[in-house]
Amino acid sequence: MPFDGAGSWAPVALSSDLPPGTVIPAWTSVGPIALWRSQSGRATASSDRCPHRGMRLSHGFVRGEALSCIYHGWSYAVSGGCIRIPAHPDLVPPETIRVAVQQIEEAGGILWAAVGQPATQPPQLDELVPLRSLSVEGDVAAIEAAAGAKIDARGLIRLPEFPWIGLLLAPQEKHTLLLLMIDRDRGPADRIAASRIVESIRRAAEERHREIAE
Amino acid sequence: MKGGAMMDEWYPVGLFSQLSEKGSKTWLMGEAIEVARDRHGNAQVITAEGRALPIRVRYGHVWSSLGNPEKELFAIPEADQPGRRFVDVGVVRVRCSPLRAVENFLDIAHFPFVHTDILGAEPHTEVENYKVEIREGVDEVWATQVKFYQPQAAKSATGGITTEYMYRVPAPTCSVLYKTCPPRPSEWDVITLFVQPLAEDLCDVWPWMALFDGETPMTDLIHFQQTIFLQDRSILENQIPALLPLDPGMEIPTRADLTSVAYRRWLKRHNYTYGAQLVAQ
Repeated sequence: MPFDGAGSWAPVALSSDLPPGTVIPAWTSVGPIALWRSQSGRATASSDRCPHRGMRLSHGFVRGEALSCIYHGWSYAVSGGCIRIPAHPDLVPPETIRVAVQQIEEAGGILWAAVGQPATQPPQLDELVPLRSLSVEGDVAAIEAAAGAKIDARGLIRLPEFPWIGLLLAPQEKHTLLLLMIDRDRGPADRIAASRIVESIRRAAEERHREIAE
Repeated sequence: MKGGAMMDEWYPVGLFSQLSEKGSKTWLMGEAIEVARDRHGNAQVITAEGRALPIRVRYGHVWSSLGNPEKELFAIPEADQPGRRFVDVGVVRVRCSPLRAVENFLDIAHFPFVHTDILGAEPHTEVENYKVEIREGVDEVWATQVKFYQPQAAKSATGGITTEYMYRVPAPTCSVLYKTCPPRPSEWDVITLFVQPLAEDLCDVWPWMALFDGETPMTDLIHFQQTIFLQDRSILENQIPALLPLDPGMEIPTRADLTSVAYRRWLKRHNYTYGAQLVAQ
């Protein structure tokens, strides 16, 4: 991802992967995050660990404007501060109980998480619309080899044979997140074709990855 | 050796009723062992190198140790009380620290969220003050006067009741729970958690019960308890770090966690550190 000296932006999910009132696991090089969207539609990236007993917050639940841990129901606001401890309903949780949050920007149907404190905005991909997200068991190099092209400065691969298809890649801990995008003016038939093409690229990349691992 | 003082403790390694002469392979603290019934019907536990380990058969289970236990296996007087039904619940394998499994068993604040509509339900989430002590004479952790509202406290319960609990930790990976007995208010139901440490981050959990419940079919009693432990497993396999942090700072306890605080302190005091993380990382 583009790095401006103070930080960078990592794509973490498609906007459509995260309806209001839900939480999903995601990852940036900072570590695992619980990516959640409040009832009013605001997306937040919280560190994926409740400081009470270490439970993953991505297993939790969203109510209203807060994310709650599934273990004991400790609730965290968009700011990261703990706002409720159900075992002690009358207690106002001290401000020291909080989870780290990463800045989120949502543009063109993609959720971007800030790694560090980037001075710029996330890459502009206005000519594209996102179709789906995939998880590829392989690294960026394996996907580049399968696609026959390298990622550009925005983290995007344009397929040489199908230049109207874009693959936005984000390395994860053990795999790569691939967001499939397509030129805005393409119709439904091309969307179906793009989905099939990206499946074959995934298979080729994973095969290549396995061969290298052996 | 990594086991520290825990090497010399007793651990469950199987159900006595399920032993066979063919034997079954399992692990104890990273060491491969085989648990079998010999020709005379006695339990035997042998390491991969052929070393015979000490044996006890008690509470439906076979108990063994890689070291030399100085203390006898802890007593559960209710196990000899007439009129109780003894339930071998079986085994649940959990990819977690054996100490995290015990700590979860000592916790009531998770009931409304993990065992929803069974052992707890919102809005009844408050944990009232209770008493915790390390009983010096017997060297056990005890929590008493623990009260919690439960929609269905036991298979035999027909509606919501406020249940009273007492918890006891007589060994580093074992806990005994005394719980309000719905059909017989003057007695306590006994539910135990016997944890076999296979590795520092892997364990077999063997729940066992001694109940006053002549009505409920055995299958239903076992299913009820299995349901509870499978719900716990979804938590236990997703805690970070996998090992139980014994040093303060890594996790934040509240008043509701006083049993956990005492358990961790007791573990640390005895150098019971197999499955624990000592330095905050």
